[in-house]
Amino acid sequence: MSEIFESPFFGIALSIFAFWCGQMLNKKTGLLILNPLIIAIVLIIGILLLFKIPYEAYQQGGSIINMFLAPATACLAVSIYAKIQILKDNWLPILIGCSCGSLASMLSVYGLCRLFGLDDAMTASLLPKSVTTPIAVSIAESHGGVVPVTVVAVIFTGILGSILAPVLIRLFHVNDSMTAGLAIGASSHAIGTSKALEIGETEGAMSGLAIGICGIITVILSLFL
Amino acid sequence: MKIIKQTGIIFTICWLSIIIQQILPLPIPASVIGLILLFFCLLSRLLKVEHIQEKSDFLLSNMAFFFIPAGVGMMNYFDILKKNWFSLLIICILSTLITFAVTAFSIRFTLSLTKRRK
Repeated sequence: MSEIFESPFFGIALSIFAFWCGQMLNKKTGLLILNPLIIAIVLIIGILLLFKIPYEAYQQGGSIINMFLAPATACLAVSIYAKIQILKDNWLPILIGCSCGSLASMLSVYGLCRLFGLDDAMTASLLPKSVTTPIAVSIAESHGGVVPVTVVAVIFTGILGSILAPVLIRLFHVNDSMTAGLAIGASSHAIGTSKALEIGETEGAMSGLAIGICGIITVILSLFL
Repeated sequence: MKIIKQTGIIFTICWLSIIIQQILPLPIPASVIGLILLFFCLLSRLLKVEHIQEKSDFLLSNMAFFFIPAGVGMMNYFDILKKNWFSLLIICILSTLITFAVTAFSIRFTLSLTKRRK
């Protein structure tokens, strides 16, 4: 029975259908919490569990979609290049902002882990959670973290960032597109950036820039741990 | 043909960045190397934006969609999540808030300093 789900077409079609449902629901209700990505993930997990379809079967198609993450990240260069004047005029604030953000992320996670009494392995898994998945995983691995926890925390942080971004922009009165974009990218990497791209061109470009800069700064910071 | 050519250019950059990643001693992921590589190709006029415009618009405007499989992967870690879900939730929410605020305020502070100097 399960071989009919082994075709990559199944996973891809299911993902597209689930994402389309998510976007419809999001548009109809206008609720931030009904993020298309969350709806799609919940829907797919639900369908797989309900029909007892193995995760590996879904992953036949899933891995093909996943492959597009690398070229999509690389293409952020195009949006950054389009805003190169902002980068030239503001390189110092951008660099300082991303450094402070990366440091704040690691320190706050460390403090909160201690507060909740989590062990060293859990702490190491969560420390790099604000940066993009591949960087976070390699940092967690080299410090004795549990990689699955890192993956979940990174994705969760990203989704959280994409839900909270519009709220936080209003809450902290961030009325400058550059600042908003950098703060989104620094706190919630590429998933946040997908939201930033929806908010505006400059926000998207700056958020993409922050992924790269914060990623590299976090790698450097983690060498001192 | 246009889209195929553009896909070819972008995938070549992704492949080159994997080769660079193997050579570099630091744990920098291939996707970030790809970002830097493409940026320098554009900066040095080796590539023009027109060479990849449509493909890159397609990839960027559908970014959220490409994260679905990674998110579905969570279902393999239900047991770890069940044990720590509450502390994980609070830690993620608070540190996302703190990181956003610190980044925004430190940029605002630096901007006001540099403006005053001018």
